Amino acid sequence: MDYDKQLKLQALLDGELPEAEASAVAQWLAQDHEAAALREELRNTRGALAEFEAGIQMPESREFFWSKVQREIERLETPAAKPASAPFSALWRRFLVPASAVAALIIAGVVLNRPDSTGHTPAAEIETALADSGAFTYRDYSAGTTLVWLSYPADTEVADNDEMGTVE
Amino acid sequence: MTDKDQSSADDKTLVRASQQGDMAAFEELVARHRDRIFARAYSMMRNEEEAVDLSQEAWVKGWQRLRQFQGDSSFGTWMTRVVINLCLDQLRKQKRQRTESIEAMDEESGGVERQMPVVTVNPTAGLEREELRQRIDRALGLLSYEHRTVLVLHEFEDMEYKEIARTMGCSIGTVMSRLFYARRKLAVLLADIKNQDLL
Repeated sequence: MDYDKQLKLQALLDGELPEAEASAVAQWLAQDHEAAALREELRNTRGALAEFEAGIQMPESREFFWSKVQREIERLETPAAKPASAPFSALWRRFLVPASAVAALIIAGVVLNRPDSTGHTPAAEIETALADSGAFTYRDYSAGTTLVWLSYPADTEVADNDEMGTVE
Repeated sequence: MTDKDQSSADDKTLVRASQQGDMAAFEELVARHRDRIFARAYSMMRNEEEAVDLSQEAWVKGWQRLRQFQGDSSFGTWMTRVVINLCLDQLRKQKRQRTESIEAMDEESGGVERQMPVVTVNPTAGLEREELRQRIDRALGLLSYEHRTVLVLHEFEDMEYKEIARTMGCSIGTVMSRLFYARRKLAVLLADIKNQDLL
């Protein structure tokens, strides 16, 4: 059987064949038993499918299904939540580290600049690098000692900050 | 709108109320059409869980796009188009993720259906509705998604060839070939299932 004719036969069955071609296909059907059998097969398949979806039902109850739909609608309509604020402990540590550094600096300054029994101040000084306020340098010239104090955030705080960065 | 009003109201009234933000009216629409929407998703996906998820997604999209619904078609038809588009997107994603079978490639190249003998005896004659449904269910599951989709769109959605071509992004000729193959293959599969059950 000619494939093009078979497709035309199908189109005739589906009501998609132009009038001009319909009569030629109908004539072919009347003469060719195999074509007529094919038409019956196509009709049977259509008939079998006709009621298929009518038996299918949603497996979830009305209430349960609606609750899911409603929840999703409400979730999408709710404005995006504000980013979560930093934990109090992290904020407290952020304040405490530089504050304690400044306090230690003041105490050291007072102690080191206190006049000794001869009335001279010790040959020592404390520097703070303006470019890096987290670093303090202490020099004791008499003892030939230099101490550098770095007060960068602790690892745990860095970790806290990283976690905060992922909150949406 | 009271519960009683909702259950007695027609779809147009419920759609208008829903467009004004009445969620209770929308719930009534969901209750009325959810089986039909689920059935269409199930026919296309062949997986109950996916069909439920896509139905849910369709209803959420339906609510979001409700203002775009002008009433040119019935609300039920409009919703089935929403779920069909979601299913097609999902099927395309799945197709990209899997390797095409040799059988699918044969089907795509065409011509296999020309060698199939005509099934002269109706393999579903005299079957009870539930038995018929189960057999068709099995047979549909054995078709490739392209053939099943063309069949679903034509037989269940009553789409014309050109509309199916537009929806699936292929030519009318391809739609005709796929539809022809799908019907012929389905007839053979239903006959095979019948023969297996007789053994």
